Amino acid sequence: MLENLKVASFLAFKQIQRGSKGTLILTLMIIALVFVNLVFLPSIISGVVETFNSQSINFNYGNLVIEPREGEQYISDVDTLQKKVERIPGIAGTSPRISTGVTYFYKGHDARSTLYGINPQDERSVTKIHENMIRGEFLSAGDTDTIIMGAILAGTEGEEGGGLPTLQGVQVGDSVEVAFPNGERRTFQVKGIYETQSIGVDTSAFTTTDPVAQVLGLEDQASEILVKTAVDGQEEMYRTRLFSYGIQQQVFTFQQKAAGFVDQAIQSFEIINAISTLVSLIIAVVVIFIVIFINTVNKRRQIGILKAIGIDKQIIINSYVLQVLFIATLGALVGIVLTAGVIYYLTVNPLVFPGGPVFPVVEPATVLRSIASLFVVSVIAGYIPAWKTAREEILDAIQR
Amino acid sequence: MIVAEEITRVYRMGKVEVRALRGVSFTIADGEFVGITGASGSGKSTLLHILGLLDRPTSGRVLIDDRDVQRLSDRQQTLFRLKRLGYVFQDYALIPELTAIENVIITSLARGVSEKEYLGRGAEVLREVGLGGRTNHRQSELSGGEQQRVAIARAIVNKPSILLADEPCANLDSETSKSILDLFKQLNEDLHQTIVMVSHEKWHERYFCRIIDLKDGRINSMRECNVNR
Repeated sequence: MLENLKVASFLAFKQIQRGSKGTLILTLMIIALVFVNLVFLPSIISGVVETFNSQSINFNYGNLVIEPREGEQYISDVDTLQKKVERIPGIAGTSPRISTGVTYFYKGHDARSTLYGINPQDERSVTKIHENMIRGEFLSAGDTDTIIMGAILAGTEGEEGGGLPTLQGVQVGDSVEVAFPNGERRTFQVKGIYETQSIGVDTSAFTTTDPVAQVLGLEDQASEILVKTAVDGQEEMYRTRLFSYGIQQQVFTFQQKAAGFVDQAIQSFEIINAISTLVSLIIAVVVIFIVIFINTVNKRRQIGILKAIGIDKQIIINSYVLQVLFIATLGALVGIVLTAGVIYYLTVNPLVFPGGPVFPVVEPATVLRSIASLFVVSVIAGYIPAWKTAREEILDAIQR
Repeated sequence: MIVAEEITRVYRMGKVEVRALRGVSFTIADGEFVGITGASGSGKSTLLHILGLLDRPTSGRVLIDDRDVQRLSDRQQTLFRLKRLGYVFQDYALIPELTAIENVIITSLARGVSEKEYLGRGAEVLREVGLGGRTNHRQSELSGGEQQRVAIARAIVNKPSILLADEPCANLDSETSKSILDLFKQLNEDLHQTIVMVSHEKWHERYFCRIIDLKDGRINSMRECNVNR
């Protein structure tokens, strides 16, 4: 067995060493590009998922969202609940929000969207909206008649929102009138404008809790409480922990809140990825098959000679499989280098998606899966033509 | 010892049946240098292919050292060729990617011989055939005579019990042919090597102990001719 492998390796090595360098390099490059294709799209999908997750956590939901019990519109006794949640180990911050649909009026323009009443200090402990102010400042604890507004809602003078709510040119210091659902109207001065790249957040506005609570007649109540956990990625565990500490309201993870949108987007991406992967692998199979087929057909006589002098058929087949394994290994290595280059470029110049900049995320499992699938198709594509040629009758092979 | 019993070989070429051998029987003793002669199409090469286990007879059997070699499986026949036979082809049949010594040692490698031993033996055999200075040359860098010497070195490197040669001088000039035949003669006389060689050159006959002459797939004559050796 070992002798057979030694002979097969010897023949494979000599054929690669003294065979056509041009064919070798061409095959290597095709394998490398197939590898890039196998890794690239999944890394973009992972990047989209990661961007969406971080956008959801940083701007929309925190890690967990506590909502009123079923049948209730608001969470009551928010202060006590907030303190209770913050005492649970692993909870880094909470931010109660009152949300309401309102209509904004500004210089003859109006836009329907959401207004959130927040405690600025609490909000800072959960979301990162305060870090994304592009003009003006974030809210402060004592503010009463001030508002901060998303960049899309504030808009640009003369530009319509293309279906999104926009006031077309609100500036810091301007006054905006807000009509609440109960018909009450209030005027707020714009303190700042933020841009998070999350459409839902950038089309909304925030003010402090008091004015919203007063208008809606709420006291120590909230529509939802956003919860920030110490570590991301363990939302389900923290959700269970909240229940185990006696939280009786509904608790959702950010994934549950965002499920519909992300799932649909990912499903579409996965279909594209599956097609792309399949096409890439078929290309790899066809290329390797053709290369080895031409190689074995050209060496049909040599294969016959080797059999005639007593070299076992399996040794000859193995020598071709080893050549293919070598090409696949080198191709994967070149592919890794090329992928690293593409990933580096896209990390410096990220793709801009509606949810924010997408940085490619290469997962080790994707790389391993790509290498494994390349090897499997390579071995199959190398084995079949070698096997077909090596089983030919010796005299037929030699006398051709 | 080789015993051939009533060997026939029938080919089918489309609807035509070609009877290459029509019942050939003979015995070749160990250490004999036997020439198989005959006109083109007489069945010489077919017979050698069957003796070399490169082809199977339609009927009859071949016994080599009392072993019915036709009963061996393909794999067993491959092993038999590796361990017991040496084969020299008319057109050398070297592997172009390998150097002279690599062509010679490839069968030793497959036999599991140690690296030190096969490299030593490979170099020694190449020296014996007069190619001591050409061990690392590839086929394209060797003359026809040199290539045939490499092929002979490959055939004898493992000291096979039988050396089969299919018109080994067909592509060589008479001087190179003589040196190849002298080499065979030396192997036969010095090492008591059994050699079966196909030839259609009259002047080769003086090298053979015995001649099996074929005609139309049958033995035409069988004669001793070592008087001239």
